[in-house]
Amino acid sequence: MPAVEMQGITKYFASSQVLANDAVDLSVGQGEVHALVGENGAGKTTLMNILFGLTRPDRGTIRLNGTPVQIPHPNEAIRLGIGMVHQHFKLVPSFTVAQNILLGIEPSRYGLLDQRDENAAVKKLADEFGLPVDPAAVVGELSVGLQQRVEILKALQREARILILDEPTAVLTPQEARELFTVIRDLAKRGQTVIFITHKLLEVIEVADQVSVMRAGRMIGSKPVRETNLKEMARMMVGREVLLTVDKKPVEPGEIVLEVEHLLVAGVGGHTAISDLSFNVRAGEIVGIAGVSGNGQTELVDAITGLQPVDGGTIRLLRNEITNQPVGDRREQGMAHIPEDRLRTGLNLETNLDENVIVSRYREPEFQHYGLQDRAHIQKLAEWVVTQFSVASARPGEDIATLSGGNLQKVVLGRELSGSPKLIIANQPTRGLDVGSIEFVHRTLVDARDRGAAVLLISVELDEILALSDRILVLFRGRIAGEFQDEQATKEQLGILMAGGVIEEEAS
Amino acid sequence: MTSRQRRQIFDAVLIPILAIITGLAFSSVFVLMTSTPPLVAYQEMFKAGFGCERLDNCSFFLTLERATPLILTGLSAVVAFRSGLFSIGQEGQFLLGALMAAWIGYAIQLPPVIHSLVILAIAMAIGAAYAFIPAILKLRLNVNEIISTIILNSIAALFVTYMVNFPLRANRSSTASTPIIHASAELPSFFPGSHWGVGFLIAVAATIFVWFFLWRTVPGYEQRMSGQAPFFARFGGIRSERAAIRGMLISGALAGLAGAIEVLGVNRQIVAGFSSGLGFDGVLVAILGQAHPLGVFLVAILFAGIRLGSQIGLQITTNIPRELGGGILALIILFVSARSLFGDVINLFRNSFGTGRGIPKEDKA
Repeated sequence: MPAVEMQGITKYFASSQVLANDAVDLSVGQGEVHALVGENGAGKTTLMNILFGLTRPDRGTIRLNGTPVQIPHPNEAIRLGIGMVHQHFKLVPSFTVAQNILLGIEPSRYGLLDQRDENAAVKKLADEFGLPVDPAAVVGELSVGLQQRVEILKALQREARILILDEPTAVLTPQEARELFTVIRDLAKRGQTVIFITHKLLEVIEVADQVSVMRAGRMIGSKPVRETNLKEMARMMVGREVLLTVDKKPVEPGEIVLEVEHLLVAGVGGHTAISDLSFNVRAGEIVGIAGVSGNGQTELVDAITGLQPVDGGTIRLLRNEITNQPVGDRREQGMAHIPEDRLRTGLNLETNLDENVIVSRYREPEFQHYGLQDRAHIQKLAEWVVTQFSVASARPGEDIATLSGGNLQKVVLGRELSGSPKLIIANQPTRGLDVGSIEFVHRTLVDARDRGAAVLLISVELDEILALSDRILVLFRGRIAGEFQDEQATKEQLGILMAGGVIEEEAS
Repeated sequence: MTSRQRRQIFDAVLIPILAIITGLAFSSVFVLMTSTPPLVAYQEMFKAGFGCERLDNCSFFLTLERATPLILTGLSAVVAFRSGLFSIGQEGQFLLGALMAAWIGYAIQLPPVIHSLVILAIAMAIGAAYAFIPAILKLRLNVNEIISTIILNSIAALFVTYMVNFPLRANRSSTASTPIIHASAELPSFFPGSHWGVGFLIAVAATIFVWFFLWRTVPGYEQRMSGQAPFFARFGGIRSERAAIRGMLISGALAGLAGAIEVLGVNRQIVAGFSSGLGFDGVLVAILGQAHPLGVFLVAILFAGIRLGSQIGLQITTNIPRELGGGILALIILFVSARSLFGDVINLFRNSFGTGRGIPKEDKA
């Protein structure tokens, strides 16, 4: 008898006019690791939110171990033994591990909390499941991987028999991800049922027993993992053949386009985010910056693009010093920027396509005369972006807020590449995108490089760095921890350099 | 015109109208308490606000006169809001503009037309200068513009009171006032019986200017992007600080202009206690008009007409006290603010006019 059986689940969001789940069936066996995969907007998270009582379905039934249940609220889900670890942790950073795990169910003696009791209870739980944590550690000071472990323990403490993990590896280093997989396998061995949402197919192969693929609100199919392969899963997800590798011509680096020397950037709270960083990017090459997020990537990009003042060092664009130039001047000299936060920084969702595609070029004589905007030319640019980058369902003059994540990123790419830039700063260009869109973004960046643009790629996805880069720099705590030519680098070496500090910390 | 722009204009026109209908329906309860049939009362109200018997006795002209400063202070608020600054300093800028107009209006002699043009220019400059203070405080010291403009409003009001009571006082009569301005400084009216005149034309021109500036020019684009999405604007290379200062200067100039027109076209002097609340009403008009110049223009006229009709018309012709008229006005404002109430109706209209997606009623996805 399956542990979870969802039948005919249908959910329509009237506000966005999206049929998020269309008669979806899902069956998860007891003690099984079940991967739920699909592109963004395929309806995976909606389905799991329904199982966890966060969203009410319009139709459909849920059975747990054969018993029909109603789950109107997460409290009910927890009572029924369902736990969910969200992509963004819901922990109190200033509380200890034990306080977080026991939040709301604290053991008390005569109405008083006893920290020792709490710590002992958590210690016992951690030992039982083989998930070592220090109960007295403050959560905000833990690494992301450990915080996730706390979330899992929190669910286990509430006697979850079914554990839902929403994109659990998105925030982890490769090593942390591997540890998580061991934990997941262990839990399954003990009879826990684990459902994890992901769009990284390699992870499915690595850890799951069964995989269910969703596309556009429908369940496309469910298979034992050993009976399928990467290519088939990708095809089920996207609905067509997908290239999983990027074809590249050999690199032919030209002149130095971006030159960063002894860069120093202060971070929040006075510590240095970037210290004494020097590197360059040549025309016709992609330089990848690998690193776990929070190691200075944001500050580095903001300093190069002019969004944050630098505290020392020089930045040159085609031999021209731009260290203290405003953003607009840098853009006029041929700098393009694909920002990590496309919704808030890369786009203005409150206005139409035209006003979005012109933001980096609105001063150019082609698009304005004597301070009056040339709307016809702006519209032509918008049309060009839509056709060249095949932005589905976008039209000049129309709002962009309803476009999917992949299409929004195409708008950003289209705009940034429209002026044939000499330097492209791409920060997490595929974050949150599905396989089909990732393929498109990668192709676009490689094409730009082949046309002679210098590309600086910053990504926390090692696979992406390895697939695209001609040269790889590892960023750790604001310094370059290592440099590789593409062919020399292995995932393991990069992972160790990326996580170097984390290992030290755990040892101490 | 894009569907968004059509939608904006649609909202700006339709929401106030729906709000007035609903507001009046609700007010009927209170009107009934005074044993006046609501339809009779509303008929009187509209006659007093929007009726027109003869050209020299036309209440609608009076409404347009009262709408003139509201349009300008409303536009002033629109420019600030669209630039991302919730400036409510219109009152202070308005008062200083009025004070400059009253003073230069009698203190210097210039040929007609030139005299009034000089005054309008100076009033705009003083309004802009006064708006520069909260702008620079915001940018340099991150002082919240709501708080700084409220304080600056009080300072301006007290300063004007002082100036009218002492340095600029005309005579020793019991009510302090400035001397009447020279005829050369006056803005002429179109018809006797109201001060509806050149000032209104300036307000119309300002409405077109603000719309054109915001939606057709490069700096206007910079204003709106900085206001809507500050991170996006900075990322694109827009100098948001400049845009903010420019927005505040234009906003202040429009409020100062409103003050000068009120003196040159209507009052001809400043009487103690001049502080009229027209600046604050402008904020209200801007919000009710969906921060769109066209919406502001229409709402200002409706607002002025209903105010005249409900507070004066009702009092004269029925036995409804003017306080109740104020209540009706307040109810209408309340319904305009409750715009989502009209979501379904608006969607219905939009669908039949094909202007695209309606207001989402829930947001869960």
